[in-house]
Amino acid sequence: MNKQFRSRTARGIAVASALALTLTACGRGDEGGGGGSRGGSASPGITDDSVTLGITTPLSGATAGPGTCTVAGVKAYFGAKNAEGGVEFGDGKTRTVEIEALDDAYDPQQAKANYDQLKDDVFAMTAGLGTPTNRAWREAAIADEVPQVLVMTGDPLFSDPEESPWQLGFVPIYQNEGEAMGELLASSTGEHKVAILSQNDDFGEGYVEGFKSAIEGSDNIEIVNELTYEATDTSVDAQITELASSGADVFFNAMSVTPLMISALQKAQQVNWTPSWFLPSNTSSPGAILEPGGAAAYPGIYSVAFSKTPAAPAFADNEDVQTYLAALKEHGDYPDPPAFPHCQWSWMVGATLEQAFAEMTEPTRENFMEALRSIEGFEAPLMLPDTSVSTGEDGQPAVSTVVVQKYNGKGYDTVETFE
Amino acid sequence: MAAELTLQDVSLQFGGIKVLQEVSFTVEPGQIFGLVGPNGAGKTSLFNCISGHYKPTAGSVRIDGTEVQGSRPATLAGHGLARTFQHPALQLGETVLENVLLGAHTRLPGGALEWAVRSPRTRRAEKELRAEALDLLERNGLGWAAHVPADELSHGLHKGVELCRALLMKPRLLLLDEPAAGLPHEEVEQLIATVRRLRSEDDITVVIVEHHMGLIAALTDRVVVLDHGAKLMEGTAAEAQSDPRVIEAYIGKDAA
Amino acid sequence: MASASSVSSAPASSAPSAPPFRQRPWVRWALPLLLLVVLVVAPLVLSEGVNETLARIGVFAVAVLGLNVVMGYTGQVSLGQIFFLGVGAYVTAYGVQNDWNIVGVFALACLIPAVAGLLVALAAARLGGLAIAMVTIALPIVGVPLAKRLSEFTGGSQGLSARFAETPEWTGLYDDQWQLYVVLVIGGLVFVLTRALVRGKYGRAFAIVRGNENVASSMGISPYRYKVLAFTIASLIGGVSGFLYMLVIQYTSPETMSFGHSIELLAAMVIGGAGSIVGSLLGGAYYVLIPELTNQVDPNLTSLLQGAILLVVLFLLPGGLASLPRALTRGRRRTRVGRGPAATPSTPSSTTGSATAEPAPTERQGHA
Repeated sequence: MNKQFRSRTARGIAVASALALTLTACGRGDEGGGGGSRGGSASPGITDDSVTLGITTPLSGATAGPGTCTVAGVKAYFGAKNAEGGVEFGDGKTRTVEIEALDDAYDPQQAKANYDQLKDDVFAMTAGLGTPTNRAWREAAIADEVPQVLVMTGDPLFSDPEESPWQLGFVPIYQNEGEAMGELLASSTGEHKVAILSQNDDFGEGYVEGFKSAIEGSDNIEIVNELTYEATDTSVDAQITELASSGADVFFNAMSVTPLMISALQKAQQVNWTPSWFLPSNTSSPGAILEPGGAAAYPGIYSVAFSKTPAAPAFADNEDVQTYLAALKEHGDYPDPPAFPHCQWSWMVGATLEQAFAEMTEPTRENFMEALRSIEGFEAPLMLPDTSVSTGEDGQPAVSTVVVQKYNGKGYDTVETFE
Repeated sequence: MAAELTLQDVSLQFGGIKVLQEVSFTVEPGQIFGLVGPNGAGKTSLFNCISGHYKPTAGSVRIDGTEVQGSRPATLAGHGLARTFQHPALQLGETVLENVLLGAHTRLPGGALEWAVRSPRTRRAEKELRAEALDLLERNGLGWAAHVPADELSHGLHKGVELCRALLMKPRLLLLDEPAAGLPHEEVEQLIATVRRLRSEDDITVVIVEHHMGLIAALTDRVVVLDHGAKLMEGTAAEAQSDPRVIEAYIGKDAA
Repeated sequence: MASASSVSSAPASSAPSAPPFRQRPWVRWALPLLLLVVLVVAPLVLSEGVNETLARIGVFAVAVLGLNVVMGYTGQVSLGQIFFLGVGAYVTAYGVQNDWNIVGVFALACLIPAVAGLLVALAAARLGGLAIAMVTIALPIVGVPLAKRLSEFTGGSQGLSARFAETPEWTGLYDDQWQLYVVLVIGGLVFVLTRALVRGKYGRAFAIVRGNENVASSMGISPYRYKVLAFTIASLIGGVSGFLYMLVIQYTSPETMSFGHSIELLAAMVIGGAGSIVGSLLGGAYYVLIPELTNQVDPNLTSLLQGAILLVVLFLLPGGLASLPRALTRGRRRTRVGRGPAATPSTPSSTTGSATAEPAPTERQGHA
């Protein structure tokens, strides 16, 4: 054993030494060192005729579906712009926009590695999906002064300019969604008893917090029972049965697990409880959840949205939707109809970035952040009426407005009142 | 000090099958003791009861008067017991020397942390036992093979390596399970010489399970013949070979 | 008895052949010395990106090394190694957030995973073969929801950030250089200690527990105790890698210990070389570099490409990358042994009274 070992080790040492020496020969360049460059000189990733954006997002694994969409939309948007010659910047130059996307498989460690790899080559990081995967390199991005903007996470941390000076979230935070639902209910003329079920984590807590803040002081709304479950639970039958006995006519269910949502919809029918439901946007898919759950049995299923659904008949002839679908196919490497709303969101990210670029007077990251934070009431393509991009509000993501929609048996219609 | 081994009414049952029935005998310190019998007589089972690999259903096994019945094999090594296996199980990828050094395990001082930092004590002990192992190999004609991976040696040499490994434990009681099985005639002669030398130089009690009657006759001071799990007779090898009950038990099975 | 005592006076010089080239003292010292010099100089001259990648490789090489102790050396299938990395990372993050002394944090990051590993092993090692694997599968599967639930300590699904080990002013180093040095010192120490452990007394004991438990126990080695020991050491090393993970990645969340990563660690160990120190390093490099490589080729096909690379390596080198030079030497040694007897004809015949030294030449040639 010993001799063999020794020979193996000796070889290993030799190989490692050779490798290290080879790497040494590459030398340490001056471009390393990270830190942002203050003043007028151009930041990394931007030249007079092009700018490069980086994305780290899950392209493999369980969240690959939405992750792929986060790349496809923004790629399609700028692909189409590049084909027309590029994007006009506020400094008078026209630049093409390149996207460098890397797969992080929803692994925080890999996301950090991807960021490290991209940070010196890209002007800004954008559009990546996932709370842990964005948090993994948030502090590094602050230290390096690299923009991490319009990322797809409902985590409020990214929209706090004190804590996160180089960050901005894109999609509504959980509180925004809960709040919109609460407002709709509070504006109702009738008396309502509400039962609440929420996931015992920041997702569920955020929803409930937003919902409660909206109904506070409305004497026509009474919360009659409030329960939680764990994201790892395999059944919520017990909670549903208990909530059914409360006699509530409205059920606010902050649940992020698809199979549990389906079984909750089925279980409530079994115990003859048919309230109106409020569901989070990510567990309200008509095809994947409501149909198998038998949602037609309930008087109303409400959820929230801010983007048009390309598949909905109402938008079939919409010009925005047509342009978007064509570009997605041609420039986004996404030949199929988009399966996740993240494709649309990512397209809006592209449009929002273009707005910021148009305001930039200097090719620097600082200037870009200033420009990005000055967008007010921008109606990005594919946005539903009454929603818009506003980046100047403290504590809010770029999109903080959502509209409540009601299930019509096939898809959703925007509603103004709770019936 | 060679050990004394005493078995009293050792029985072993697997389910309803009686493998051993009330076997009793005593091996005096320094004896070479044979355990013989036709195939299926229960020799190896009895062996495993002594070495702790089987737990007897009833009865008592004592080494130097200490009850060891039911002890785990790893504990028995501490009582000075070593054994070889019918089919030598060596670490084939390792060198012969490393294989033999395994026998030094209980003689090497120090815990895991001490070995990780290689304290002077562990270095010294390893060095000493390495030298001792090399010498042991040398004296058994395997010195040339010390740094050869075990899988490059023949079956017969494996048996020699295994014996060296057991001897490095400095046992007081050595169990040899069919040491001559599969060996050509000349190697059996070598084996006989080695075991004799063990007794004269090393002060060890040896118990041998063996089919090879020539080896038994040449080596043992005393034998126990087993048949169908029970003791048939006890005496010298010559007495056993002339005993009509033994001849009957062996008829058609072995040229006794 | 007599034999042993007579022997200790006869030193190893009685060995038939002179020590081979690599065992000569100056070679044994020169190579590690060269390596040491390279390791000291490299972080200073390499680019930031390379340093960061090397630091990450160090983190996962340590994790793979731990897995190797229990699986490669002792042969007990463990699918839970990532759990101990996760525990180490969480302990570190929690300690840093509460401003505990960093040395104490490091000690706890080793100790708590080790105790957890010990408790699991005490129960699991009683069970045979696959049952241990099943118990260890449960660890990451339980670990992820546990980390989400204990949000007071773990920050729930939002995870914990912790930046620590700030580069001291006096060093004049960049952050990446300082981090790499810390990884090199701690990781290097773990490698040196483990390398010493898996040789000698404990290495042989682990190997025979893997190879043949019956033989192990007849040598006075309790398979149960040594399985528990190996598992505990693996957990401890996993904890060290968790500490380094926090140093380099600076963030942990429940996803850190997801089951998929445990499988990836196992693949990295097999690819690098099971039961090999150098293999652990190569495994760490594989774990870190392959995702980067596949991302360069096509970010949309990473998992497919990684699977393909895994299969190709295992088909070509079933013993892992570390077995490549070994496979070559082995081929050469076989021919050398075949010739051996001719070179030392006197050895077997000159020995008298030996058990098996009979016509060794023919024996060996027959098997060469």
